[in-house]
Amino acid sequence: MIYLDSAATTLQKPQAVARAAAWAVRACASPGRGSHQPAALAAETAFACRQAVAELLGVGDPERVVFTCNATHALNLAIAALVSPGDPVVISGWEHNAVTRPLYALGAEVRVAAGPLFDADAALDAFDRLVTAEVKCVVCTQCSNVFGMVLPIQAIAGLCRQRGVPLIVDASQSAGALPVDLEGWGAAFVALPGHKGLYGPQGTGLLLCGKEAAVRPVLFGGTGSASLRQEMPDFLPDRLEAGTHNIPGVAGLLEGVRFVAERGPENILAHERRLVALTRDGLTQLPGLEVFGGGLGPEQGSALSFRVHGMDCEAVAAWLGERGVAVRAGLHCAPLAHRTAGTLDTGTVRVSFSAYNSAIEVERFLSIMERMVRKR
Amino acid sequence: MVYDFLICRSLTYAQRTASALGRAGISAYVTRIPRAISGEGCGYAVKVSQRKRSDALRVLSRVGIAPLRIYALEPSGTYREVTA
Repeated sequence: MIYLDSAATTLQKPQAVARAAAWAVRACASPGRGSHQPAALAAETAFACRQAVAELLGVGDPERVVFTCNATHALNLAIAALVSPGDPVVISGWEHNAVTRPLYALGAEVRVAAGPLFDADAALDAFDRLVTAEVKCVVCTQCSNVFGMVLPIQAIAGLCRQRGVPLIVDASQSAGALPVDLEGWGAAFVALPGHKGLYGPQGTGLLLCGKEAAVRPVLFGGTGSASLRQEMPDFLPDRLEAGTHNIPGVAGLLEGVRFVAERGPENILAHERRLVALTRDGLTQLPGLEVFGGGLGPEQGSALSFRVHGMDCEAVAAWLGERGVAVRAGLHCAPLAHRTAGTLDTGTVRVSFSAYNSAIEVERFLSIMERMVRKR
Repeated sequence: MVYDFLICRSLTYAQRTASALGRAGISAYVTRIPRAISGEGCGYAVKVSQRKRSDALRVLSRVGIAPLRIYALEPSGTYREVTA
């Protein structure tokens, strides 16, 4: 199979990830719940993972690295901490439902900083116009999950800092490839999955909390700390980590993070951008295709969308699936992004890459696409 | 050996504390807080040799880590709160 759906989850992982998860199933108990060896092993594993994540993603201390089930969980926590019903919130035009649905559920007044696809200056101008002192917070993806468009997050963060507006960054499509720097950005929160660019198992996610971030638990229960009190502990990470941890997931995630740190996010990004460029160049040669690609510049991440005129995007994905190519079609849980790009009615077919894809796979995919176009 | 217990607000804080001490060459062990001194209920402490108390506190202060309280384990088996 040619797996080109890493924006959903990376399927190929370092072998150490599965080994570590299997080891933890056998050897680790619950961290913070005992002094016996299996509990101590679990605690050491969790701490090592927090430290590795803190080092990779610019978090000043490992206590502010919170384990979650996925990026959606992390985004819900971040949004619940900062937004109350009726609050004005500014988001980019490229947000996923993991951002827009929690805001909708909370009854926030959402203002969209929209701009053309792959126009970082226009995106920044839109934020510049909308981010005023009355805005309660800004939520912005670092990279669109549909089009792979990279947002100018550093400049947006600077704008937020200048105007005293807290920033939540969705690093779902960027962590492990693009630079993520919680403290450097001065962000209130960065939310990310563990199972995409960090190569951990599914069921892992992270919320990185800024120094001043006041957090509000959405889950209440045992933490192995301050157990006489009925309120949740007022310190991180315990305040947001009620219940037993997913230690097999955390053990796997630790190995994934080590893999990324060893290989270097910048090298992974360069590799993935080369594959995106190869794909874009190949697809644009085919008749009847519309390719939404940036370039090889800083505006391009590791995903690329296209559509085939006269053919439903789901039919394209199914046709490719039958020939052993895994892609994602439809609206990608991001109707706002499709509305912004003008692709809401048709959806798109998305290909997305990881460190494990190769140029040979891209060539095979392109030759399968060529067959499809010729047969039409 | 006689130990001090540096009471920490969380397991992760205790791990940070022990890690900072370890890096400075001071043996430190993360342990559950004995029930007799656990105050708010279950929690974690870092156990260090009493002889290393002042060195340990100097190292921790340098990296911005502060234990909530410090208890010395007396030869009688009881705990006595000590000031830094």
